[in-house]
Amino acid sequence: MRRKLRLIAIIAVLGMVTAACAAADDGGGSDSGDEQQGEVTQGGTLKAALISDVADAFDPHKSYYTVNWGFYKCCLLRTLLSYNGLPTEEGGNEPLPDLAADQPEVSEDGTEWTFTLKEGIAYAPPLEDTTVVAEDFVRSFERLADPKASEGGYAFYYSIIEGFDDFSDGKADTISGIEAVDDQTVKFTLTDSYGDFGMRLAMPATAPLPEGVADGHVRDYGRFLVGTGPYMFEGSEDLDFEAAPEDQKPVSGYKPNRSITLVRNPSWDPETDDLRPANVDRIEVEIGGTEEDVANKVDAGDLDINLDGVPPAQQIREFLSDPEREDQVQAYPSDAVRYISFNLAEPPFDDINVRKAVNAVIDKDGMRRLRGGPQFGDIAGHIVVDGLLDDELADYFPYGNEDGTPDVEGAQEFMGESEYDSDGDGVCDAPECKDIFAVTDQADPYADQAALIEDSLKEIGIELEVQALERDPMYEKCNDAGAHVAICLGPAWGKDYADATTFGEPLFGSVAIGPDSCCNYSLVGAPADLLKENDYDVTEVPSADDKIKECDTSAEDERVGCWAEFDQMLMEEIVPWVPYLFDNRVEVISDRVENYTFDQFHGGMALDHVGVSE
Amino acid sequence: MGQYLIRRSLFMILVLFLVSVLTFLIFMKLPSGDPARMMGGQRTNAEDLQEIRENLGLDQPFWVQYGRFAKGMIPWPGLWLDEQIYYSYSNNVAIKEEIYPRLPYTFALAMGAAVIWLAIGIPVGIISAIKRRSFADRTSMIFALIGVSAPVFWLAYLFLYLFWFKLGIAPPSGIPSDEGVVQAMVTGRFVMPWIVLSLAFAAFYSRMTRGNLIETMGEDYIRTARAKGLSERKVIFKHGLRSALTPVVTMFGMDLGILFGGVFITETVFNIPGLGQYAVRAIGNNDIPAVMTVVTLAAAFIVVLNLIVDVMYAVLDPRVRYR
Repeated sequence: MRRKLRLIAIIAVLGMVTAACAAADDGGGSDSGDEQQGEVTQGGTLKAALISDVADAFDPHKSYYTVNWGFYKCCLLRTLLSYNGLPTEEGGNEPLPDLAADQPEVSEDGTEWTFTLKEGIAYAPPLEDTTVVAEDFVRSFERLADPKASEGGYAFYYSIIEGFDDFSDGKADTISGIEAVDDQTVKFTLTDSYGDFGMRLAMPATAPLPEGVADGHVRDYGRFLVGTGPYMFEGSEDLDFEAAPEDQKPVSGYKPNRSITLVRNPSWDPETDDLRPANVDRIEVEIGGTEEDVANKVDAGDLDINLDGVPPAQQIREFLSDPEREDQVQAYPSDAVRYISFNLAEPPFDDINVRKAVNAVIDKDGMRRLRGGPQFGDIAGHIVVDGLLDDELADYFPYGNEDGTPDVEGAQEFMGESEYDSDGDGVCDAPECKDIFAVTDQADPYADQAALIEDSLKEIGIELEVQALERDPMYEKCNDAGAHVAICLGPAWGKDYADATTFGEPLFGSVAIGPDSCCNYSLVGAPADLLKENDYDVTEVPSADDKIKECDTSAEDERVGCWAEFDQMLMEEIVPWVPYLFDNRVEVISDRVENYTFDQFHGGMALDHVGVSE
Repeated sequence: MGQYLIRRSLFMILVLFLVSVLTFLIFMKLPSGDPARMMGGQRTNAEDLQEIRENLGLDQPFWVQYGRFAKGMIPWPGLWLDEQIYYSYSNNVAIKEEIYPRLPYTFALAMGAAVIWLAIGIPVGIISAIKRRSFADRTSMIFALIGVSAPVFWLAYLFLYLFWFKLGIAPPSGIPSDEGVVQAMVTGRFVMPWIVLSLAFAAFYSRMTRGNLIETMGEDYIRTARAKGLSERKVIFKHGLRSALTPVVTMFGMDLGILFGGVFITETVFNIPGLGQYAVRAIGNNDIPAVMTVVTLAAAFIVVLNLIVDVMYAVLDPRVRYR
């Protein structure tokens, strides 16, 4: 239902991933970035499309959707730290000072983070006379901790701040771990050392909240949003915060389900902002239509880009085969992985050798081909996307072949060692290997992929009974520990921010087991009582909780190494998944767009970096 | 007549009640996703999930939950689409705020298309009835077959591709948000949607008119009219057509009612911000308040237009009397 769902957010990103080549490979894509900055046309109107509206009508405390994050990051909201709007290889995953004057001072034990604010940063009209002060961050975090105001958002990332949960539960009047030391200094105290806290502070929900703006707007604050970015909603100056909340009229520049119009924020001073060139004067976004129609409009130059849809495969092919238009196809790794998930408590996948055998026998290259071929991403040999591990595991392929082709012999060896292959011939001969309950997405190309998986698994004697469902029910089913789905064929997962912690607890933590939590479909670390409660025969499954805790609380410079170890531990000692594809995100742009730049943070074109020729 | 109207009105309320119960039942009970989970996001913990359930009334018995929604369907100030209940679960916007501006677009699309399909369908039907087995009749049969068998979404894409993308003689899909419905009609943004939507109906109406007229022209009273020396034109238009069009009017009422409830495919493909486009999104998002509103509204349009049609019978056919 809600577009803001984490998974839907990911799917939106992944759905868009119809990839074309990684920029360097197949000719689709051009130099991203600002080396061309000097030549970029200033002014003009960028015209974009969204097939579906943004989530939560732009409320930053609720919005858990990367398309929203793109608008916030480029245009509407500045945060203490933020990103440069470029791809990973150009530093796009590194948090940099934004509203903060410099990087934070971090105490030796890593629990106290102190920021000094840039001076004189004013809000957009009608608050152009109000400057950002430390108290605005305290106010923002207090709203974030209000379960109603942040419903559906990602407030859980801030439970690491001392007193955040107490405030949220109504046990305290203030968040003890956030202090406005003076107007220009804000200090955060954490419950432990979390090296990724800087990245958490680069999320849009942490943007400062001026006094009075959100009062009375628990549900609809997004339509009264006043930020500090280079753009604002058209009509922002007409907001009347003097009026009673129920009498206030929302901004005219955002019409839910119809259009978004952003204009320059006169309060924004480029001298204070190294991260956003803000080349165009105006950004117009029409909402609705179909992907095919929007693609034609991009082709015709009526629109410059589709921000949330999937460019039709035919359009990608046509553009890539035309030397004059190939640069209009842009593709970059979206920091997301596609995978097959085992239920560790369900036979025959309760045997690690069976899970290893499946990893070795799956035709990952075939799976990728069904999505469109090598342009659609890199073969995944492990779980955490390479971009979050500084490529430490880029050459790590513990099962199958590096080119994604299956290793049938290796698979049969693993199967031969399992308890389900009594004669050790590499083919499962136990009844548990027949009619295994599998679930997949009914959309393309999952059905074809499921058929391929079924074929591959026959080599080791495994036969699936596949149920194809709509996307949301599929995820709910896979997430329901009581549903006894043995193998889930259609999931995908993307980062929230560029630290592998976003691939840790939510996917493999014992606290993330459904249906009341999410999204540990494999039941890694499921406690004995949960297994019993859900009628599983096994009484224990391997756990990753200790390693997750270790990595979560590790210092900034140790994190990548720790998460790489975690990934290898999963792939060798637990084997909860068959990761098969690190997805690319592809975008087709009009020939008016100059200086295309991929914003790695939200996974799409950086609207503030591009220019448009008239 | 008065009694008849009261009876029909009560019947209308019963139908709307049943439609709303069924809609609510389908969307609450079918495995299309837990509304609380959708609202809270996948990573919401059990306690927060419970709180959301309480806020949405999902912890209440079915009939209590239904009652909350049903109250908002009563057209009375303070009750009608109460914003505390009738707000979109997907973007928190009040349903009223989304629905009202969409009605003119849907009405304009439906009415414009209706004019075209009547203007094409009835004359073509009459001609082919009068000139049976002629070239005109056979041509109209081919037209009808094409019109009925060409899917609307296909025609819509074809028209967009041909007349906007290739030939550039029609405006593209979509209506800029600063353009009102009248301005959009003046600038020709409705022309392609009208034509696409009307083609299938025109084809169907021409066949229906033809069939009815042929049957009517064989009636005794037509022979009597001819025997009395009336001109053929008078026989056809005054006596034959009047009776032959009665079922057409019935269908017209139904069709218009259905379209007022939302022209799902045409609005989606042409990106017209009408009720149909909203309904498609609402259903796709399992947005219960939005779905309840559009489905019940659509049912209301159908029932009301049926009532109007029934009343019009008396005008069209003097033999019909209401008791």
